[in-house]
Amino acid sequence: MSDELGFIDPTAGGSKRRITLAPRPMDLAGKVVGLLDNTKEQGMLILETLGAALRERYGVARVIIRSKEHYSKPATSSLIDDMAKEVQVAIAAVGG
Amino acid sequence: MCSVHDTIEFEKRGIPATVIITQAFRNAAVFQFRGKGMEGHPYIELPHPISNLKPEEMREVTLRFVEQTVKQLTA
Amino acid sequence: MNAPVDEFEFFLNKQWSDGLPVVTPTEARVQWMLSATRRSPDELVGNIPPAMEPATVRTVAIHAVMAGCKPEYLPVVLGGIALMLREEFNMNGVQGTMHGVAPLMIVNGPHAQKIGLHGGNGCFGPSFRANATIGRTIRLMMLNLGGGIPGIASATIFATPLRYTACITENTERSPWETLACSRGYTVTDNVITCAMVESPRLCFDDVSQEPQRLLNGIADSMVAMGSWNMHAQSDMVVAMGPQHASICAKAGLNRAEVHARLCELAGRRVRDLKNGGNWRRERALGFPIKVDPDDDDFFIPAIKDPRDLQLIVAGGWGPCTAICHGWSGGSRAVHGTYET
Repeated sequence: MSDELGFIDPTAGGSKRRITLAPRPMDLAGKVVGLLDNTKEQGMLILETLGAALRERYGVARVIIRSKEHYSKPATSSLIDDMAKEVQVAIAAVGG
Repeated sequence: MCSVHDTIEFEKRGIPATVIITQAFRNAAVFQFRGKGMEGHPYIELPHPISNLKPEEMREVTLRFVEQTVKQLTA
Repeated sequence: MNAPVDEFEFFLNKQWSDGLPVVTPTEARVQWMLSATRRSPDELVGNIPPAMEPATVRTVAIHAVMAGCKPEYLPVVLGGIALMLREEFNMNGVQGTMHGVAPLMIVNGPHAQKIGLHGGNGCFGPSFRANATIGRTIRLMMLNLGGGIPGIASATIFATPLRYTACITENTERSPWETLACSRGYTVTDNVITCAMVESPRLCFDDVSQEPQRLLNGIADSMVAMGSWNMHAQSDMVVAMGPQHASICAKAGLNRAEVHARLCELAGRRVRDLKNGGNWRRERALGFPIKVDPDDDDFFIPAIKDPRDLQLIVAGGWGPCTAICHGWSGGSRAVHGTYET
């Protein structure tokens, strides 16, 4: 590229690797749902509302809600690991 | 935006996941999913702003997105 | 045969451009820049969030060339970006935030003087190559490697002019006190950078006070506002006392630590005054790392929750003015460390 242009183009390429989506279950009946609250306003209320609706309407067995330390930091690996041991699907809220 | 990062971390561990965002952060979310190798990952986009909604209003808005959430988490 | 590329348009058209032309990074210029460091060009300094593209020493040098740096500035850039990638600084958060803050570098020590980094009159504005280009290098990396671009990863409402560049030193010639670095225990010969995530400076003019009490009262007033995140979260703040104001305090017998403590005591508002506008929420006050009573209208909420959050420096030209930079809400703690030259 440098030869053609005569100078360097350091434009970052974006990640070339692809991560495959985790396989989805057929439905949520009997499943445990993990809800990750990022402490932003309204996050907990959104997740509680979703959790209740999933139990009432979609047969979800149990809902686990955990909170992060602060909305502008990623959850710690250990928090995600702990949740991953117990849940079959997860919802993170709220970005924004 | 860290909720996107968290969502990807669940996916990497084999846990189907989605993220609730508001409209103002849509571009950021799309950019982050692409940058981390999950271009096109679904998300739930609530209308912005939500910070001033009263609890009943927030619940009502949330309930409109339950079906879409389930679709994103199931086959 | 291809038409020759207009190198200025080439880079100005990049999504990550800061809107200003860059110095074209040729291999020769990059080698020239790398001559200022003994480190291997392939050494990884870190990955810039949120896109997490890698910044090797060579990558940093390329951005330094583009920003217009001289090679002797490169060690400051390398030191600065490494500090900014520390977890507690939360670069990831600031890249996406709606807030308009930037990582301000305060550089102390002999190397800063040697390269002409400016801390005197006009230090927050244009005219000083080291100030302009060191800070700009950091920003170009945050844009290109980190993807912190408005409308893409960055939801910043206004941003801040500090996002063009944010790098200064203190006015050590006119300061009556030790530097910020020395106040933390570094020696006068250590080359130190402190980084704090802050908004643009607001100015506190006072050509009336001849003694510290009234002077510091006025400066403290500029440290608080209903709409300032410093009142609603734990947050850093930079107070750049002009040397004229600093001398009023020093002549009255106050040392740096005493001025620092006095500002921490004075800066704040009562609950009743905070409730009437701005970002006041009860839950926010309950989240402070200090005990407050948000239901007591007389309760005094300090702007500075931890004395380490106030970065007090002496900078600027001679005149009756002090500059105050409010901080971010996003859970960043100021960082500091030495850098190799």
